[in-house]
Formats: sequence, structure tokens, C-alpha cells
Amino acid sequence: MKVEIYIIKERCKGCGICVEVCQTKVLELSEELNSQGFRTPNVINPEECLNCGMCEMFCSDFAIWVSIETEKVGV
Amino acid sequence: MKSIERYHPADSFLNTDSFPSVWCPGCGIGTAVYTFIESVKEVNIDLDKIAVISGIGCTGKIAECLKLNTSSVTDGSVVDCAVQLKEKDKDLTVAVFLNNADFLLSGAKDFIDAGKKGADLIVIYVNNFICAISENKIFPISPFMRMSIDNEFELPYNIPYLAKSCGANYVARWTPIHAGWMKYSIIEGILKKGFSVIEVVSPCLLYNANNGSIQDAVDRMRFYNDNSEIKVGESAENLDLRSQNKVIIGKFMDSEEKAG
Repeated sequence: MKVEIYIIKERCKGCGICVEVCQTKVLELSEELNSQGFRTPNVINPEECLNCGMCEMFCSDFAIWVSIETEKVGV
Repeated sequence: MKSIERYHPADSFLNTDSFPSVWCPGCGIGTAVYTFIESVKEVNIDLDKIAVISGIGCTGKIAECLKLNTSSVTDGSVVDCAVQLKEKDKDLTVAVFLNNADFLLSGAKDFIDAGKKGADLIVIYVNNFICAISENKIFPISPFMRMSIDNEFELPYNIPYLAKSCGANYVARWTPIHAGWMKYSIIEGILKKGFSVIEVVSPCLLYNANNGSIQDAVDRMRFYNDNSEIKVGESAENLDLRSQNKVIIGKFMDSEEKAG
């Protein structure tokens, strides 16, 4: 199972909740700033992600989400 | 060929132009909005048949960020507006987001009347313990022994007891870290005929930062985790926020007696 983690950095406000709730330590607050001057999270080990969706549930700015990578049939 | 999902799963419900949102980093209102969207997805009702009413202040901005039939009405007439909307169209599912100013300062009579009539509403009351960031002013929901200029202390309201006594069919209280439970509470409130009240205890980050006790959003999450206790079916008299050390959360009432 391959889980993809998507982050919209322009919506992020750097509260760090997604880093805190992740049980397998997938995310880390990086030093790079977005256009509003907030520190945004980075994905450091994506293989550990369990697709639990906790980061998505607790993000109050709708900036991060996870989904299982699917393959389109046919096209 | 791999399909790339470029949009947040809740983006079809959101006015994406209004993002980044106006709320502080890690505010509990965002989690309340996310759980509301998730529960609407789960119930699978027609999106033209949902109306969301909110008032003023931080909670009032929910009406701007949702791409449903929303309205942000004036202070004090939020529940009244929702009751009249529901009387106009019986098929509508009407959700109301209340804050302290809309509810306790000027809209309490409408709330009590709606409960007495058994109006079929779902009220999500975001309790952040302050009104207009007025730290030094005593307010009906101010925590006991809060520092104030004139050192007058009042006891805060017991909101679940108030809701139960004015005739609510469904009463629950959660904090933002119990978002999974809160989602199922909102689903039950949407499906329930009658007045359902869900209190979300989410202290304002600005107030707590000035207070010095809680510095940021992660500290706040730890505070909720340490200071809350789930007691489902607890009697509503024991749910004061003043007399216990821990905030008692859970579902306190679920009855079918009065359907509006």
C-alpha cells in the first residue's frame, strides 16, 4: 500500500498539530517559510504512513490530506 | 497512469478563495467545520437541502468559508432566523453555529424558545470562554476565579443543563481533539428529529497565550488530553465547568420524546 501525503503550503499556518499527532513520525516542521511567514511541515519518511487520517482531521486550515494511490484502468 | 488528487477531500464544500482562513493557527473552529463537512458527507443528503446559519465574530466566518446555503446574520437573531427558515421549508436540514456573543449575550431567549417549541435544528455551540477578546471583563461563561479589574467573580453557565431543561432531545459536549466522536455526534444530531445541542469546548488561543498557561496549539491539545474525561450518560447537573478539575465530555442525552 502506497500512501500519498499532500500539503498545500500556502494554506498552512505552522501550528504543528499534524507533526504532533502523527504516531509514526512521518512529518517534521521544516525551516522553510511560506508566503505568510509560517513554518510548514515536510514529509521525511513517507514509507511509514499508515493512512490513519489524523493529520487531515486535526488540521484546522484544510492544508494536509492523505490518500491511497490508485491507478486508473484503461486510459 | 497514476491519478493525482490535487484537491482536499473537503474542498467541494469550501469557498477556497477565503483560504488561508481568518482563524488563529490550530483553532478549534476549523476542526468543528471539518467534522461538520465529514458528517454531511456521511449522511449523504442533498446539498441544496442544507442551510448553515452563523452569527458574528470568529464563528460567524464559518458562513463565509462554506460553499453551501449559508447566511451570516446579525448578533442575537441566529437561532430565530434558523427557526423561521425551518418553518418555511420543512425538508431543510438547518445547522446553527453559535458563539458566546450570539448565544449568551443577546440570543438566549431565542435559544430557549426554540428548545421549548422543539424546533428541528442542530446547534453547534463553540464555547471559547470569552467574548470579543475581553480578558478583563466578566462574562456569563467566564471561568470561575478569572482575574479581572474589579475582582468580581461569577459562576459560569452549565450549558448542557440549560439545553436539557429547555427541551433539547440530544445534548453532547466534546473538545476538538475528540473530533472522531464529535463527527458521530453531529451525524446523530442531523438525523435526530428535534432540538440537538452539541457544545464544543475550545478555549480561545489568544486569551490563553496572554494568560501564560498555554503557549501554542500543541500545548492546547495536550491540555485537552490531560484535562478531559469521557462519561457518557452523566447526569446534566454534574457538568459544571467550575467545580471539577476535569472537563466531563460525552453524550449526555438522547431521547425521542418531543419531535418538532
